[in-house]
Order: sequence, then C-alpha cells, then structure tokens
Amino acid sequence: MKSVENAKSASYLQINHEIRRILAEEGIILMPSPEAYEKLDWIRDYFDEKPEEGYFTWIKKQVDHPISTCISISSSNVHQNLRNLIIVENNVKTEVYSICNAVKPSLYGKHVGHSKIILKENSVLDIKQSHKWGIEDDVLSSTEFILEKGATLSSSYKCLTPPKKSKIEIKTSLDSGSSANLEAAFLAKNGDAEMHDSIFLKGDGSSGIVKLRMVSDENSRILSQSKIVATGAGRGHIDCMGLLLSKNSIINSIPELLNTNKNAVLTHEASIGRMSEEELNYLRSRGLTEDEAINLLITGFLGEATVYKPFLPLKESHM
Amino acid sequence: MTLLNSNQKMHTCFKRSVYLFPKHEKIIGSWAILIKYRNNPSRLNYMLEIKNLFVEVRGKSILKSVNLTIGSGEVHALLGPNASGKSTLAYTIMGFPECKVTHGEILFKGKDITHLPIEERAKLGVALAFQNPPAVKGVKLSNLLKRISRQPINFKDFPLDHSLLEREVNVGFSGGERKLCEMTQIISLNPAFVIFDEIDAGLDIMNLEELTRIIQDKLINNGTSLLLITHRGNMLQFLEPNVAHVMLNGEIVCSSRDWRKPWKTILRFGYEKCRECKERELPSD
Repeated sequence: MKSVENAKSASYLQINHEIRRILAEEGIILMPSPEAYEKLDWIRDYFDEKPEEGYFTWIKKQVDHPISTCISISSSNVHQNLRNLIIVENNVKTEVYSICNAVKPSLYGKHVGHSKIILKENSVLDIKQSHKWGIEDDVLSSTEFILEKGATLSSSYKCLTPPKKSKIEIKTSLDSGSSANLEAAFLAKNGDAEMHDSIFLKGDGSSGIVKLRMVSDENSRILSQSKIVATGAGRGHIDCMGLLLSKNSIINSIPELLNTNKNAVLTHEASIGRMSEEELNYLRSRGLTEDEAINLLITGFLGEATVYKPFLPLKESHM
Repeated sequence: MTLLNSNQKMHTCFKRSVYLFPKHEKIIGSWAILIKYRNNPSRLNYMLEIKNLFVEVRGKSILKSVNLTIGSGEVHALLGPNASGKSTLAYTIMGFPECKVTHGEILFKGKDITHLPIEERAKLGVALAFQNPPAVKGVKLSNLLKRISRQPINFKDFPLDHSLLEREVNVGFSGGERKLCEMTQIISLNPAFVIFDEIDAGLDIMNLEELTRIIQDKLINNGTSLLLITHRGNMLQFLEPNVAHVMLNGEIVCSSRDWRKPWKTILRFGYEKCRECKERELPSD
C-alpha cells in the first residue's frame, strides 16, 4: 500500500468502493472512470456502458516514474465492478504497476475488473499486474490491449495467492510493426483457475509471444486456452508450462494457432508434468527441507516475484 | 585379539551391572561406551564409518559388503572404472531414496545416519559435490546461496565470473562453471565431510589446479574430511590423499595408505589387476 501512496508520477488507491487517493503529476490525466465518462465525450467509445467504478489514465507525456494503482477489498462480501482505461500517447514510454488484492483471507469478496489499454503509435508500455486473494474470493478479470503501429508492450501477470475461483482473460491486437511480450504466472489451490489469452496479429511485421507458467496445487483445476490468430505477416509463439503438485489436481492446456497469412509464422510449445525428483534431491542435499525445496522450485518456475521500485513522495498533483 | 577379549569382558561386565542395577542402564551404557572408546581411541575421531553395506538401486544389487572408515580431517580417494558403484556409494552416503540400503550401516561422527533423510544428513555436515548437477530453472545462484549458506563467502577467493551469481543454477553453464558453482555451494555450507564425485571431470589442468587450491585452502586446511571420487592421477597428486581405495563391481577390493601403489597398478595393468594384486592392503575394518 505504501508504494502506491508514495508514488511520484501518478497513483490510484481504491479500498472496497472508496477512492482513498488519486494523484498525478503534469502530463498524466488520472481520474475515476465514471467522472471521465461524464467529462470526456471521446472516451465513451471505449466503454460498453457508463462505468460504476474504476480509473481512467491518460499518459500524454513521458514521465520518469512508474504509475501505480492498487485496488483492495478489505470488508466482507464486497462486490467490485471496475472499468479501467489506460491510454498511452504516441511515442511515450511508461511503466505501470497494478495491484489487486484482498487484505484478509476469508472476505468472500467478488472482484470484476475490465481494463482496456491503448498503446498509440510507437509508444512503449511495461505493465506488471500482481494479484493476491483470499481463499473464498471470486475473481473475473479481463484486459484488452490494443497496440497501434510500432507500439511495444511488455506485460506480466502474477497470482501466487489464488482465490477460490478466478477467470482471467487477456486479449491483445497488434497493428504493423508492433510487438507484445505477455507473461502470466499463477497458482491454483483448493479452487479453479481459468486463463484465456488471445493474440491477434493484424499488421505485417507484428510479433506476439505468450509465456504461461501454471502450478496446480492440491484440489485444484486449471484450464488454460491460448490462441494466436495471424491475418498479417507476423510472428507468434505460445510457451505454456504446467506443474502438477498433487494427485487431485488437473491442468488442461489448450494452445491454438490460426494462420490465414502465408507469410506469418506461428509456433507453440507446451508441457505439463510433475516436479523433478532430481532437482528436489539436489536442493535437499544443500540442507533445504522437502517443503522448502518445493517452494523454491515453484517460485523459480513461476518466475521471481515482481520487485517494486522504491517511490519518492509526490511533490505536486495535477488533476 | 587383546581388544576383542577386553570388549568381551566389558560386555559381560555391562550385562552383570544392568542385571544388578536395572534402573541405571543408561548410565552404565554410557560408561561402557567410554570404556570401549578408551580401548580404541581413534574411534572417537571417525568422521564416517561404513559397515558391511549392501545397496540396491531399482532392485539391482550395486554395493556389496562395503566397509570404509574415514577419520577426522582425512582425505580418501575412491578409484574405480565406470559403473563400479562409486557414485552409488556417494548417493547412499548422502541419503538419496533410490539407493536402498538392504544391509549394513553408515555412521557419521558416531551417529547412525543410515535411514536419515537427505537434509538431516546435510545439516549434520555431510555434503556432496555432484558430477552432473541438475539445472534448477528459475532459481538464481545468488538466491540459492542466500538460502543455504551457513558461512559468508568471500567471492574474491573464487575464480568465479560474478555474472554467474545472477544466472539460474546450472542452466547453460559450461563444465567448468558447473564445478565452480558446486564448489561455491559446498564451501558456503561449511561442511565437516565432503564427497567430490568426479569434480575433476572435464576440467583443463589450469582449472583443476585452481580447484584443488580452493579445496586445500577452504576445506582440508580447515580440517574437513574428504572422499574424492576420481579417475585422474593429477587430482591425487595435488591433494595427496591419506588413503586410496579401489572399487570393482560394487566392492572395495583395495585400500592403500600410499595412493601411488594402486594408481601405478591401474596405470600399468588396468583396474582388474587390483583384484589379484599381491601388494593390496585390504580394508582394516
């Protein structure tokens, strides 16, 4: 929470349905989605209907510090229904750190979040999304990335503390010369997790890579559907790996490639398996217990935790 | 024979004492152990004792009646052709589950570790440098060292490219890098006893010299006991083991306090000659 409050360039903090902090420096417009919908006619096309809650961020100018957002559930039976919109202007390079979480394990919360992220021509976005939920929460999150010509996207999604039920959708469409590198790492335990990601290579010279790492712990079910569709002469790759930790866990991984352009190249690799006994014994021979060794291997498999940069206090805000 | 008689007398004495004072069996037992060690003081300094060990791997008998005693601070070499059971012995001492002990026992500093899990043995001070360590994807060497280190490492003492610390353990490492990675981990564990399973394999002479220098400085000079599994005389020349053993078909057929004797025989006639060599000194135990 601290990292959000001290953000230098822009920050948005919402707890349950209440906006606790919304700050932005010059060059960034940050406001609640319902307010933006009322004030700015031109953004209405990006929403299906008038949003109830969420944020709108318009990054008009290059800023040196990351934008951070945090949306939390702290009370029982809260049902969030968010619509977020991020627009990165032409030639602007920016970073976004986004946290969605429940602060306690058994709040029976429901988090529905739909985000649309537009990368204008030659812009660069590095977005890191981190989710942490309680064991009884229900999560539905969808993100749509639209990359204009020459735009570059690097996106990572992590959820190592899973809810009871989660459905994540990521849809990315790429215009000519744009590239997207999408990573998602998540764990399921005593619940269900679904991941549906699709990449549309619409322009020539576009490229999209999706890298999924999934861990199915006890009494869990993971369904992952990854799809790349090429209509332009682009390159696409799906890299999908799953780890089964328990007898009563299931991973169903479905990669799909659809190519309508003879100059496009689409590939995929997928594997689902158990933890390597050899690696476990190796780590145990260094004095780690079996549980410590398993945790280390899972952390390694899912990728190291996102390191958030220390933020300096915000000097001024421009709304 | 004297020691045997003395032990027999002591055993009889112990039984009588327990019969007379049954409530004090533990105290009498401790007294009996002390007397036993007084009769054979070197036993107190044993780092590792392997007694009549039989081991199976996936139902196949690999080690047969292995006896091996390594004293505190001693360096032993274990020589033998490929598939003679050397690595199986290393994995059995470390406690790998696929090596099933069907008979015999392994004592470490006098404690029976035959059925202890791997990590318990590691915590007691047993360490193994692997011949072919597995790649551990996603785990950086620096992160692993942070979790396992029992003593600070001065990286100036290692010819280690520091970028290696930020790479995933053994992923894409060259042969030399793997050996250095093993060595760094072993030293960070501050072990009492280390098995080096062909740590010299695939190293050029310069790197081998550097590696043996580190073993000498960081382990031997600190009183660590070693079991060197090797095929190469160079390693032995640098480290001068106290005892060299030869293993054939899962048995130790020769143990010599002069490593050059079996080594010369092996060089001249091959390993099989060790079985019939008249100069062999059989294991003392």
